[in-house]
Amino acid sequence: MKGRLNNRRNGDRLFSAVLLIPILVLSIAFILIPIVESIFLSFQDYGSKNLISGKPGVWNNFENYKDLFRSGKIIPSILITFKFVILVVLIQFIVGMALALILNSNIKGARFLRSVMMMPWIVPTVISALIWMWIFQPQYGIFKYFVSVITGGAVTDFAMLNNPQTALWGVIIAALWKLTPLMTLLLLAGLSNVPTDMLEAAKIDGANAPTRFFKIIVPYMSPVIKVSVTMSIIENFKQFPLFWTMTGGGPNDATQTLAVLSYREAFVSFDHGSGAAVTTIWLVLMILVVWIFNIAFPKEEMD
Amino acid sequence: MKKQKSKNKGGKILAVIVLIIVFIFLLFPLYWMILTSFKTNMEAFRFPPTFTIKNPTIQSYKSLFTVNNDFFTYYINNFIISGLVTVLTLFVSILAGYALSRYNFKWNKFLIAAITAAQMFPVVSRLISLYGIMSRAQLIDTRAGLTFALTATLAPFSAMLMTSFFDGIPREVEEAAYVDGAGRLRSFVNIALPLTGSGIFACGIYTFLQAWDDYLHAVTLIQTDELRTLSAGIALRYLGELSYDWSLINTISIIGTLPMLLIFFFFNKYMVKGLVSGAVKG
Repeated sequence: MKGRLNNRRNGDRLFSAVLLIPILVLSIAFILIPIVESIFLSFQDYGSKNLISGKPGVWNNFENYKDLFRSGKIIPSILITFKFVILVVLIQFIVGMALALILNSNIKGARFLRSVMMMPWIVPTVISALIWMWIFQPQYGIFKYFVSVITGGAVTDFAMLNNPQTALWGVIIAALWKLTPLMTLLLLAGLSNVPTDMLEAAKIDGANAPTRFFKIIVPYMSPVIKVSVTMSIIENFKQFPLFWTMTGGGPNDATQTLAVLSYREAFVSFDHGSGAAVTTIWLVLMILVVWIFNIAFPKEEMD
Repeated sequence: MKKQKSKNKGGKILAVIVLIIVFIFLLFPLYWMILTSFKTNMEAFRFPPTFTIKNPTIQSYKSLFTVNNDFFTYYINNFIISGLVTVLTLFVSILAGYALSRYNFKWNKFLIAAITAAQMFPVVSRLISLYGIMSRAQLIDTRAGLTFALTATLAPFSAMLMTSFFDGIPREVEEAAYVDGAGRLRSFVNIALPLTGSGIFACGIYTFLQAWDDYLHAVTLIQTDELRTLSAGIALRYLGELSYDWSLINTISIIGTLPMLLIFFFFNKYMVKGLVSGAVKG
């Protein structure tokens, strides 16, 4: 009897391993090896010559990293990336939460609004960039027109993406437009877990709206909030197509995030070693941020 | 009591105002895109801009179909790649999802952690060495190479999604079949698989949408113009430095978004369900 059970267990093991082979092969070949290799490359002098001739790179004693700090490229990039991530995630969460709360109340047409709301999320990222570039267009853009109307004609040459002071905001607006719907959708799903009888009881007991929100809604939603905010942090940390299409990192490197910097180093200057060094720093920072976020907001057990 | 009521009313008005502002923000750009595509460039470049069209024209649609029809090469390529990636991703993630949901081995925990981590890694960080790997494997500048790279990127999330769908199906049915002498493969394919039909569908649509959106893989791994996909093609061909043909670009934007919009409005329910359960449980 025991032998038969063991047999079954071994069979299970084999079967499950076979099912996992395809995803393992793909992930090892195209995710794990590239990541490990790019960490190695970051310590080497490795350019497109090496790529073409297949000659291995040469260890260069942290020169890629030192260069990034010496040239003063990396620190601004880190700061811009953080500014972008923090602003987008924060605004996205506040707007998404407000929208979710409103759509969750018995307002007329909420179901219809919910599907219409998702439309920007469906638009491919590069196309979203184009839509906003046209809105921000420096000569004929509608945004310039709005600004001149709102300021009463005082500002007539507002060029969002061409001004180092405002260019990042241009990309932030496009990112918010594209990503807020998904945040709202996830938060709406979380809101449906909040027991309505509890909210009713609190209301009768005289708890005002902010109290109900922070004492009942937020605790019940915390797993969903955590997942959606983590997703949003990762997503925005990785953002590349919006930047590359809308500003290319300019003007004056004002929007050169780590994603843009690494792409520029690796595929524009063809210094793969330097590009890999940027991505390694980027990777470490991202892991740190997600880790700190997980410590700051521990998983609460809800019963 | 009366005071409470008026306060409620104030809250409701505030809610409606917020709703209107947010929806204008979300929808106006789409309206503006559609409007511009029906304008002539003469009218599109008028300042102050016109909010309705005096003489709507399908000139840029015509020019897209006749003069600028390279666009359709990219468009068809995008369908081919997204289709291939969806099929391959589904295959890989259904197998993995079933294994992770049904069998409890020590390696599962490790694999799930690895899969979650894999989603975090920025694509740019992999592309540098992926470019080299693809060159060595003779897969650079081929549809196969792009398909594999994209599948590897998208499969982890899909596998998590499929795991949560299989978790939702009671095990007992398969147990019974197993006792009746059905093999593992048969109880997987004949019993569990049909029960997750809608989950597979949701997962497929989501994967297609993500593959359709790819820009970075295509722009790095593909060099031949005939093989380029939509986003890369648009960015490389139609975004010249100065001479923007904005009605054409807006027309391209509409045609490029249309398939996704149709898919979304037809299968809204499945997609939302899939996404939410995958993200919230996974």
